[in-house]
Amino acid sequence: MPASPWWRIGWRNLGRNSRRTVLTATGLAVGYWSVVVITGMADGLVADMVRTATGILSGQVQAHAPEYLPDRTLYETIGGAEGTDVPALLHAVEAEPGVLGAAPRVYAGGLVSSGATTVGVLLLGVDPAREDSVSRLAAALVEGRLPTPGARELLIGRELARQLDVAPGGELVVVAPAADGSLGNDLFRVSGLYATGIAELDAGTAVGPLAAIQELLALAPGRVHEIAIRIGDPWAAPGMADSLTRRLSAAGAGPIAVRPWTTFRPELVDYANLSSGSMWIVVLIVFAMAVFGVANTLLMTTFERRREFALLLALGATPGGIVRAVLAEAVALGVISILLGVAITVPVLVWWHHDPIDLSRLFGDFTMAGALVRPVLRTDYPLSMCFYAAGALLLTALLAALYPAYRATRVPPADTLAGR
Amino acid sequence: MSDSPAAAVRTDAVWKIFEHDGIAVEAVRGVTMSVAPGEFVVLAGPSGSGKTTLLNLFGGLTRPTRGRVWIAEQEISDISERRLAQIRLERLGFVFQAYNLLPVLTARENAEFSLLLRGTPEAERRQRVTALFERIGIAGLEDRRPGKLSGGQQQRVAVARAVVGEPALVLADEPTANLDSASSDALLEVMVQLNQELGTTFVFATHDTRLMERAKRLIHLVDGAVASDTRR
Repeated sequence: MPASPWWRIGWRNLGRNSRRTVLTATGLAVGYWSVVVITGMADGLVADMVRTATGILSGQVQAHAPEYLPDRTLYETIGGAEGTDVPALLHAVEAEPGVLGAAPRVYAGGLVSSGATTVGVLLLGVDPAREDSVSRLAAALVEGRLPTPGARELLIGRELARQLDVAPGGELVVVAPAADGSLGNDLFRVSGLYATGIAELDAGTAVGPLAAIQELLALAPGRVHEIAIRIGDPWAAPGMADSLTRRLSAAGAGPIAVRPWTTFRPELVDYANLSSGSMWIVVLIVFAMAVFGVANTLLMTTFERRREFALLLALGATPGGIVRAVLAEAVALGVISILLGVAITVPVLVWWHHDPIDLSRLFGDFTMAGALVRPVLRTDYPLSMCFYAAGALLLTALLAALYPAYRATRVPPADTLAGR
Repeated sequence: MSDSPAAAVRTDAVWKIFEHDGIAVEAVRGVTMSVAPGEFVVLAGPSGSGKTTLLNLFGGLTRPTRGRVWIAEQEISDISERRLAQIRLERLGFVFQAYNLLPVLTARENAEFSLLLRGTPEAERRQRVTALFERIGIAGLEDRRPGKLSGGQQQRVAVARAVVGEPALVLADEPTANLDSASSDALLEVMVQLNQELGTTFVFATHDTRLMERAKRLIHLVDGAVASDTRR
């Protein structure tokens, strides 16, 4: 027997009523499973939402002239009125490890008309050859084709097309204030329609070739408002923005502000924080319920062993020793529950990560925090929650054991041993 | 009766009154007595005479309502639970009617329990338990759990647990009550032998006439008071 007998007594006591031990440990393990898997689902949902929200158009990192945001003034192009060497800038960005793609863009507010209908839109000029490496706009194409570089063609949302009553091949008159003070206007042809599921995109954005939009807006080819950047891990965006800032400064790109999505899509960060906070409430509720279950079990076991506690006291054990005996049993129960919990949690996490539950037959896509969400419950691997939940489970077992341990120390030895 | 401070246990006008449904029951009434080291004492008397209560007062398992109790030279009537636990650990050994072994521990682990709490090194614990098991006839049963031992064997383990720490006093409450005659005789022989060879002080509360016959001092209790105290 080791120097302290309490661990051995606690451990062996668990085997005396193995059915009750298994039931209690299973209850705790299911609590662990619930917390970790629900957190994994919530993390997966947030991750997918961020991936979708930043992947559909914005990219995970953006570079602008320092004063461009938040007003998005037409004149605030990178490099000022002189513009910049866009190919060199793109080359510098793409040289940063972790960058998967970069694309130049111009933006402007404008009006598009078809027949008697006029709708206000955001005009977006993109380099069709590069855009595919940053956004998934091309994947959202539902009719027609992408605009041809240099051609006066627009890709518009299906909802916008419905409002304007146009189809691919139809003509649109586009009017927008130009950088030279004039009112730019031109005739564009609809090359195709897209549908992202995001209302503001589908009803309010018209995408054209960079050169054509620049010409409409009287912007020189070297004048772009944004370099949109795609990276592998959206959560690495803040670090990537810092690295790119240093790299572009060293490359002599001039005044330039590089921002991660966490800055230009703060509502997504708020949602992620809300989700994380909600998970802690779930943890609290699950383990608070578990405390009562375990306390009940341990109270029963301590009541059944009143005679043994009385004997221990008679043999010279201190009340502290009795407390240690009960707590040791609780810790042993906690450890068994954690092992069981991990055993039933990890396979489910892996399974639902690779083969997520698809609820699209029950619910369609929806937007949340400005991002398209597909009802697919893909679990992420919430490593930190695995450890937090294990700690919470152990704490639960210990908290649940405190009152039974106290009761065990109050056993009157003489009366109890006499069977009174 | 001696008032020597070196007495294994001593009481001075000790009373124990229980309250049952608002009625006061005087289980022990003003008992003053002393047990010297090495004595083999039997407390006898009819049921309800106060034998077990007096034994519990000797062992600090219950507190006196009035009066004082000393174990060796330490008064235990109103000391802290922690200090009392220490005295029980270092000075006392208990043998109970129902064996009261811990079912999750082996015979050896049960026997060495008090040594373990005292912090005795493992080698010494092992050596003492092995020697004692040999002496009281249960050698070879060290690794069995109580459920795998007969009643007589369990009570011998309980005796081993009580004496292994060489306490000043062993208190035994009806130790032979659950045993058949052969087991009772064998156990009694073990305790007499330990008393004679090791000088262990035993105080028994019993109805067992065989045990009374072996007593060197027989104290009869009637209605919670000493009716007679005979040395042989």
